Amino acid sequence: MRIDREKCIGCKLCGDYCPVGAIHYFKDEQNPKKKKGRIDEDECVECGVCLRAEVCKPKAIYRQEIQWPRSVRLAFSDPMVEHKQTGVPGRGTEEMKTNEVTGRFKRGAYGMAVEVGRPGVGARLKDLEKIAMALAKIGVEFEPKNPVTFLFADVKTGQLKPEVLKEKVLSAIIEFEVQRHQLSQVFQAIKDVSGKVQSVFSLDLISFPEEEEKGPALKVVKEMGFPVYPNGKVNLGLGKILNK
Amino acid sequence: MTHTLHRTGDLVSLREDFPMLTHVARGFNDKNAGPRLKKIAQTMTKYTNLHFGDCKVGNKYTMNPAEIMEKLTVGCQVVFKDKKSLVACMKELKEIDQGISVVVSGLFDEVFACCQKAGIKPPLIEFALGIHGNRKKLWPPEILDFITMCGHGLVSGNLVKKMVADIKKKKITVAKAAVELAKPCLCGIFNPDRAAKLLQRMVGR
Repeated sequence: MRIDREKCIGCKLCGDYCPVGAIHYFKDEQNPKKKKGRIDEDECVECGVCLRAEVCKPKAIYRQEIQWPRSVRLAFSDPMVEHKQTGVPGRGTEEMKTNEVTGRFKRGAYGMAVEVGRPGVGARLKDLEKIAMALAKIGVEFEPKNPVTFLFADVKTGQLKPEVLKEKVLSAIIEFEVQRHQLSQVFQAIKDVSGKVQSVFSLDLISFPEEEEKGPALKVVKEMGFPVYPNGKVNLGLGKILNK
Repeated sequence: MTHTLHRTGDLVSLREDFPMLTHVARGFNDKNAGPRLKKIAQTMTKYTNLHFGDCKVGNKYTMNPAEIMEKLTVGCQVVFKDKKSLVACMKELKEIDQGISVVVSGLFDEVFACCQKAGIKPPLIEFALGIHGNRKKLWPPEILDFITMCGHGLVSGNLVKKMVADIKKKKITVAKAAVELAKPCLCGIFNPDRAAKLLQRMVGR
């Protein structure tokens, strides 16, 4: 995103809307008594919130033409942008939301996701690579339909394409399936890499609600010192196959 | 897409916060799903008017809800503040049987109790296992409670602080500030009723 300095009147209304604090105000060179807004393009994640807020009366905020690899910021920060490769808006997949229809997750295995940059911080993709590489080392398989998978230079090692590493996004999700016997290893790897990332990440686990299914996973989670929130997501199972 | 997960807050506050979403399964029930999604959206919004939207289209605070309903192709979201309305909505969604998946987030004990009342047996659940990494960069907990209500991270912590300051200066009412915070959340899962209560707590009223 950019601010047209000719149009900006320095009202400072836009700055507070930016989720990553990338809008700053500087003295106007022509009129030092006034200030003008400027977007720090290295910090800006291209989420479009400042533009959609419609607080800029002179319409000084605009989205510039965005090329690869900066386009990654747009795809992982602005939910209105659909990922070209997956056709899914947002940052992940349908995961558990449609599982009663797709049967993606099977009993005895667990879906997991690591969302880098969430909540409210944003992240460079270098952080995502650190976590992906730690997980790849223990043999987890990344979800092929997740948009992040298209950024891998080598999906076996979790290494990303070098040109995207410095790109900053609001958040990006590593999705993968874990077999029961891998649970401890996965949580240990996440614990080990946690201190090595610059940003934050949120972690989640998809499971079947029956006690015999969720029991072993949550036991490992708690033994490894991870918190389990009292709130989460519940699929109501109302979906069906309808396409003919 | 875990955007309705990871909401932070105390139990009292979370007890009045239930995002609900519907989503097509690509390749399974996405063909000509518009009318079915519209029917589901009409049912959802019959029981809650707090928020409604879809990240591909927009939300009720930036667009006419009827227009949003006409444009749905993948799914939509609403948020509830009470279990009675949630159960009634769940029952009707089951009855109208549109064949599109529905997911409810919230405190597990509350959501399971609602499912039981609605005669629904959930097949799958998702747990939030905390925030990790460089936690020094996190917003303080009282701000996180707001910004985690938009899973895409579109609600700025600075905007929360600005709204609190403006309420204190009597530049804006609590209700209007809560709606202003709900606007950036395209999906319609930010709960302005809960936000108003949190704002009231922050300004000490």
